[in-house]
Amino acid sequence: MEEVKDNKGQNLGIAALITAVITFVLAVIPCVGLIAIIPGIIAIVLASVGLSQAARSSSPRGVLLAGLIIAIIASMISFSQIFVAGKIAQKADKWPNNIQNILNDVQDNVTKQLEDNNVSIKIESNGNKVEINTSANKKDKEKTLEDLEGTDTQKSDSIQKNDSTRKHVVVRKKK
Amino acid sequence: MSERKNKLIQNLKVRVLNEPYLIINIFFAGVILLIFAYSGIFSPERDNYPVACIHEKLTGQQCISCGLSHSFSLIIRGRIEEAYKWNIYGMRIFLFFVAQLILRVLFSLSFLKYPDTRKQRIIVDCIGSGLMFLITFWPFIVSILAGILSNSH
Repeated sequence: MEEVKDNKGQNLGIAALITAVITFVLAVIPCVGLIAIIPGIIAIVLASVGLSQAARSSSPRGVLLAGLIIAIIASMISFSQIFVAGKIAQKADKWPNNIQNILNDVQDNVTKQLEDNNVSIKIESNGNKVEINTSANKKDKEKTLEDLEGTDTQKSDSIQKNDSTRKHVVVRKKK
Repeated sequence: MSERKNKLIQNLKVRVLNEPYLIINIFFAGVILLIFAYSGIFSPERDNYPVACIHEKLTGQQCISCGLSHSFSLIIRGRIEEAYKWNIYGMRIFLFFVAQLILRVLFSLSFLKYPDTRKQRIIVDCIGSGLMFLITFWPFIVSILAGILSNSH
């Protein structure tokens, strides 16, 4: 009867090769490719330990080397997937900022529209009616100012740049 | 008769244990059978698959391999058209695993039967399986490469 060969590191080599091939198949499937790094590292460790054992007893190293090479390639593929997924997730993180910007724009638009609106307040008490009409419109305000001052205002908006700051200045000219 | 049978089994056991190629083949056949069992146990109707797409969880985007478990389960149940709808590459990957299961058995038997040409058979097996793997998983490999290239700059 034949005896089982006692090749040091051979069993580890078989385990490493099997783990490495399974890691390789997992690594190229994007759904599970990210977790393939775990068996990949296990396969590398098994192959390395097996290689060191084989080096001491000068036993064959073919299976161990095959396992190590496949494990390293599979781990690299898996790691690249982590990198790609990380980049995509990073890009996805920019979305909340974009949404915040859109919300700010909408808020500014609403505020501008409210500024130009007319406000009418009616109070009725014991048959007495009080009606207050006011306008937040800029043009109406200018007209009111003209009526009060008896002047003609000429508006000119200009932009002054002072150390990278901008100021809006309204210049009024008297007739 | 039983003694002879026992001796034969013992002899085969020793031969298998002495040959890493056979051990690897047995393991791979077992893994493939486990994949088929997984596809058979978990049903697409209940949607009770324990493995979720990690890529989708991280990025919020579906990946090229999403729906593969559903596809396998449907193929095992003979619903091929539905399987194509879940994942277009499901069928070719399933066929790859079926072919590998058959090849593991055939190569193991030929390894035991023809000891003179073992080395050549192992080389043919490695090259053939490698090519089959590349052809089957080529769309996935391309998508990974495209992802790396598009996100590298």
